[in-house]
Amino acid sequence: MPEYKAPLRDMHFVMDEVLDFAASYEAYGLEDASPDLVNAILEEGGKFAGEVLAPLNRTGDEEGCHIDDGVVTTPKGFKEAYQQYVDNGWGSMTGSTEYGGQGLPFSLGLVISEMVASANYAFSMYPGLSHGCSAAISAHGTQEQKDQYLSKLTPGTWTGTMCLTEPHCGTDLGLIKTRAVPESDGSYKITGTKIFISCGEHDMAENIVHLVLAKLPDAPAGTKGISLFIVPKFLLDANGEKGERNTLKCGSIEHKMGIKASATCVMNFDDATGYLIGEANKGLNCMFTMMNHARLGTGMQGLCHGEASYQSALVYAKDRLQMRSLTGAKEPEKAADPIIVHPDVRRMLLTMKAFNEGNRALTYYTAQLLDQAHYSKDEGERANADALLAFLTPICKAFMTETGMEVTSLGMQVFGGHGYIREWGQEQQMRDCRIAPIYEGTNGIQALDLLGRKVLGSQGKLLSAFTKQVHKFCQANEGNSQFAGELAKLNQLNTQWGEITQSIAGRAMQNREEVGACSMDFLMFSGYVIHAFMWLKMAIVAQQQLAAGTSEEDFYKAKVATQSFYFKRLLPRAQAHVEALNSGADSLMDMTAEQF
Amino acid sequence: MADYKAPLRDIRFVLNEVFEADALWQSLPGLDGAIDAETADAMLEEAGKITSQTIAPLNRSGDEEGAQWNAGEVTTPSGFKAAFKTYAEGGWVGLGGNPEYGGLGMPKTLGVQVEEMVYGANNSFALYPALTAGCCLALDAHGSEELKQAYLPNMYAGIWSGTMCLTEPHCGTDLGIIRTKAVPEADGSYLVTGTKIFITGGEHDLTENIIHLVLAKLPDAPAGPKGISLFLVPKFLVNEDGSMGERNPVNCGSIEHKMGIKGSATCVMNFDSARGYLVGEVNKGLNAMFTMMNYERLSIGIQGIGCSEASYQSAVDYARERIQSRAPTGAVQPEKAADPIIVHPDVRRMLLTMKAMTEGSRAFSTYVGMQLDISKYADEPESKKKGEDLVALLTPVAKAFFTDVGLENCVHGQQVFGGHGYIREWGQEQLVRDVRIAQIYEGTNGIQALDLMGRKTVANGGAFFKVFAEEVRNFVTENSADAMAEFVQPLAKAIANLEELTAGVIERSKSNPNEVGAASVEYLHVFGYTAYAYMWAKMAKVALSKAEADEIGFYSAKLGTAKFFFQRLLPRIHSLSESVNAGSESLYELDAVQF
Ligand SMILES: Cc1cc2nc3c(=O)[nH]c(=O)nc-3n(C[C@H](O)[C@H](O)[C@H](O)COP(=O)(O)OP(=O)(O)OC[C@H]3O[C@@H](n4cnc5c(N)ncnc54)[C@H](O)[C@@H]3O)c2cc1C
Ligand SMILES: Cc1cc2nc3c(=O)[nH]c(=O)nc-3n(C[C@H](O)[C@H](O)[C@H](O)COP(=O)(O)OP(=O)(O)OC[C@H]3O[C@@H](n4cnc5c(N)ncnc54)[C@H](O)[C@@H]3O)c2cc1C
Repeated sequence: MPEYKAPLRDMHFVMDEVLDFAASYEAYGLEDASPDLVNAILEEGGKFAGEVLAPLNRTGDEEGCHIDDGVVTTPKGFKEAYQQYVDNGWGSMTGSTEYGGQGLPFSLGLVISEMVASANYAFSMYPGLSHGCSAAISAHGTQEQKDQYLSKLTPGTWTGTMCLTEPHCGTDLGLIKTRAVPESDGSYKITGTKIFISCGEHDMAENIVHLVLAKLPDAPAGTKGISLFIVPKFLLDANGEKGERNTLKCGSIEHKMGIKASATCVMNFDDATGYLIGEANKGLNCMFTMMNHARLGTGMQGLCHGEASYQSALVYAKDRLQMRSLTGAKEPEKAADPIIVHPDVRRMLLTMKAFNEGNRALTYYTAQLLDQAHYSKDEGERANADALLAFLTPICKAFMTETGMEVTSLGMQVFGGHGYIREWGQEQQMRDCRIAPIYEGTNGIQALDLLGRKVLGSQGKLLSAFTKQVHKFCQANEGNSQFAGELAKLNQLNTQWGEITQSIAGRAMQNREEVGACSMDFLMFSGYVIHAFMWLKMAIVAQQQLAAGTSEEDFYKAKVATQSFYFKRLLPRAQAHVEALNSGADSLMDMTAEQF
Repeated sequence: MADYKAPLRDIRFVLNEVFEADALWQSLPGLDGAIDAETADAMLEEAGKITSQTIAPLNRSGDEEGAQWNAGEVTTPSGFKAAFKTYAEGGWVGLGGNPEYGGLGMPKTLGVQVEEMVYGANNSFALYPALTAGCCLALDAHGSEELKQAYLPNMYAGIWSGTMCLTEPHCGTDLGIIRTKAVPEADGSYLVTGTKIFITGGEHDLTENIIHLVLAKLPDAPAGPKGISLFLVPKFLVNEDGSMGERNPVNCGSIEHKMGIKGSATCVMNFDSARGYLVGEVNKGLNAMFTMMNYERLSIGIQGIGCSEASYQSAVDYARERIQSRAPTGAVQPEKAADPIIVHPDVRRMLLTMKAMTEGSRAFSTYVGMQLDISKYADEPESKKKGEDLVALLTPVAKAFFTDVGLENCVHGQQVFGGHGYIREWGQEQLVRDVRIAQIYEGTNGIQALDLMGRKTVANGGAFFKVFAEEVRNFVTENSADAMAEFVQPLAKAIANLEELTAGVIERSKSNPNEVGAASVEYLHVFGYTAYAYMWAKMAKVALSKAEADEIGFYSAKLGTAKFFFQRLLPRIHSLSESVNAGSESLYELDAVQF
């Protein structure tokens, strides 16, 4: 049976040593999150994740959710665990203090989310969706709506959902058919069918707050005619408590490849009472303002499954005896050597380790920008952070989930045949991870967003804002002889990033198809370069610690060595993406649909 | 969910047009009388029918229902039994079997096509006859005349089925450490005792008897792989007159709950002084297994092709129908609310990757099948030897590359469906779950790569590789016409690159044996892409020559896909080669505790 232990040492390494969260907390007036408090929170979070949530992961998968006449039951233990989660205040960490939250930094919230989600991803979706829902209400709701709903959502007494997708559309939300008809009292009657609604119905909280995209009767066609509504499962009574049942119902739940403990619901709204949030016809905008946060969370799913899979694979590789090392027996007293002696098993483990830790550094780096965008007192700094977030978010979402798939697949492979058997948990990690490249905007759509809207759409400004950071970093470390080769490589890729963008921009002026033809390879290239940046940051910190003398030599040497593996064995992949995207759109577009 | 349709047109393209299989068959003594183009074609047609109409419809329900275990008895999903009967009666189980014992004696070149169709239709189902065929191969090659006569006819006829019992709880790769024992009896038989795990088709209700081939050790056997013998252990003993006798004490203790191939029973088999008969020589059991491994490995690799093809068929259908967003260059179907997603470049990227890799795989499996036929039937020593060398070299490439590529393809096929790809009902997620096993069993892909790099390449100083490289270079020289330039030029570079890599690894491994294992997986992938470049150049050549007769755009689609392969996929070799050249050093900087 797999176990999950929060990788506290690695987390602290990135938070404290690589990114210095403490300093930015001070700068943003978040000094309440003192190092001692942070320490204690991580410690407790690790315990909760490892002891309460992780044991429900496999059983949740086996049992799944069940529906009976519109009522959804979550797997055994989920309800109790959720209550504990709420009671311990895990859900309210980053919420506004006005509504019962603790006002702690987003970055700290994400570190805790990493633990929760690594221990049990399906569980983490219930509070995860609530956070998204709260963020939208917080950004766009009226004061009254905030008072009514945030006070319940923030502590986790109620949960939330996001109802975008319909049977005939997921990417192209301009096509939605759900209708909202205004009532004389200012509310709306919502009618329509939403599908794939995560946590749309369940038994863990007394009320569920749906955020629903719908069209007003006179709305313009397409994406500019979509409005956002709050549609609670139970209407609020005069005291703001759960009142009358609203006319919406879960029609069925999906049978899926994974995340089986997360209820994916068909939601039927039948003249349900709803309340407009934000401006009419600006619903998509409202959704997108909180997308950065949600997408980063989904990207982190790749890291979470990757970490859980790695922990099990590592234990197994040290334990499983099979064949002798190519350079002679390493444990001659045993029948065979542990498989970690074999180069190919190391290749798999190191690939997992390098991607996971690179993804963790990238997640925390981006999370720090979320703090900055929200809490910095300097408007310019906030704008800078927003710009970097706009650029990094699609990369985080797609690159971390693509690599998450690779990592979880390798984590199965290390187990040989046992990886395919349910009992060991490795195959579940891969099945659960597989949703992440799909929802919250498919990875193909992230790539279009990155290259089309963000990079080309800003005439390259968003890209250069980031490449400048990389450039500065390379300059600052110019004299570093140990990593001179790696720094030069990073610098070269950083320059190449600009060049390929120029070249795509030129071609795209002639042919709009060039953007979509290059986008996925561009995104993957970007991810590899950013990981190179993250790995050098980490390696240089480790180098300094080693030079200064440390009792944790193994730990820091491993960072340097993993960096070296990354540069030698994984980073070369970036070039294949360059070659593919340089080949242009013709080979994709020449054939007719019938010829496929 | 699209219905699976056997891709007969594409199969015929490869078999008849690209490789001119009939000419090969007619040139091989022993095959020339057994098969001709017409017979082969009729068989393909029939195989297409039975797979599409009888076997494919049981795929989803088989996954939902799974094999069930109850007190040692295993029930296969509804419909499997009847379908297996139909399949067996069609003679398909014994398709490649020895005609002396009732097999049909068909060439592997044809066999691989049928295997692809069966896997494409239903992986779980496919494994029952596949294991039986594998078992027969070993028996035919190493069994005594008596054993062959007693068992082969009923197995070829699908009245009995077969298994391969190698794996034990503590070992799968390292079979030298198995613990199952065989104790000789006075009558020349043996009593076999031990536990085998993960035994595909170890117990089921499809056939009246199940014949296990079991690896075990004699009491006085030397330690390690040189002390392993192979035994035939039937579920029911067979009387002298061929009738079924007593139940042998071999029992299925449980079946595994798995990620996929749920309709295939994966069994824990307990042998408790079960009566067995030695197959081949004492202590030569692993050799006996390995002689038929090439066939088996190719076959398991083909699972990757079958799944890819099935996933692709559904994905293309879906991409033509699902409307979502407008084409970047303006509405293509303005009368509809949006355009079909096949207009989007990124969707095409996924579909074309699937198409190029699946068709490349199919051509390559046919090519390796040809080499198997040549090595088996050729009477001229030189071509026989060449066939054997190529089989030895290319089998691990085929097994691992088909299945690695198969996973990538099925993941793309799922992605084309967006959220619906994750839902069971559409079948795309099942293919990802089903195909995932093929990278693991029949020797993990890591072990295939070691076999390619170590045993097949470094150990002989690259001799087998030279045979392959020479053939490719000859092709390049012979096809230097302008129209072929966009294919043969990158092919020439790719083969030169592979030669360089090969020489590099051979050299480095002299001073450090870890270099072999450090390079192996990426090396195998470079090999795979290079081999597919050769396949696609061959296919492009045929397509160019038929451009004039191209009424439905079939041949121009082949050319379009070839272009895509050379421009978008072949470049992956450069990154992979860099990783190979990085050597083993960065794999060994960490101590085990530092991971
Ligand atoms: C388990 C699960 C949970 C979910 N949870 C929620 C939820 O809580 N709330 C919610 O609203 N939705 C949810 N979804 C829906 C999810 O967000 C959508 O499935 C996703 O956005 C894709 O939409 P789609 O399925 O309609 O795919 P489509 O939009 O039909 O896309 C199909 C394929 O076409 C590609 N494509 C489409 N348009 C373009 C284009 N213009 N250019 C290039 N490629 C294109 C896509 O990338 C994809 O590969 C969930 C889905 C699942 C499976
Ligand atoms: C569904 C299913 C069906 C199966 N059917 C059958 C069957 O019918 N009959 C049968 O006998 N078996 C069967 N197997 C077993 C299968 O063949 C083995 O699982 C496989 O050979 C791997 O062995 P293992 O599981 O012991 O992994 P291990 O040998 O423990 O390997 C674990 C990992 O270590 C790696 N490794 C091991 N040694 C080395 C080395 N020297 N160098 C580099 N890497 C190394 C492997 O590549 C793998 O990644 C089946 C398994 C499954 C899951």
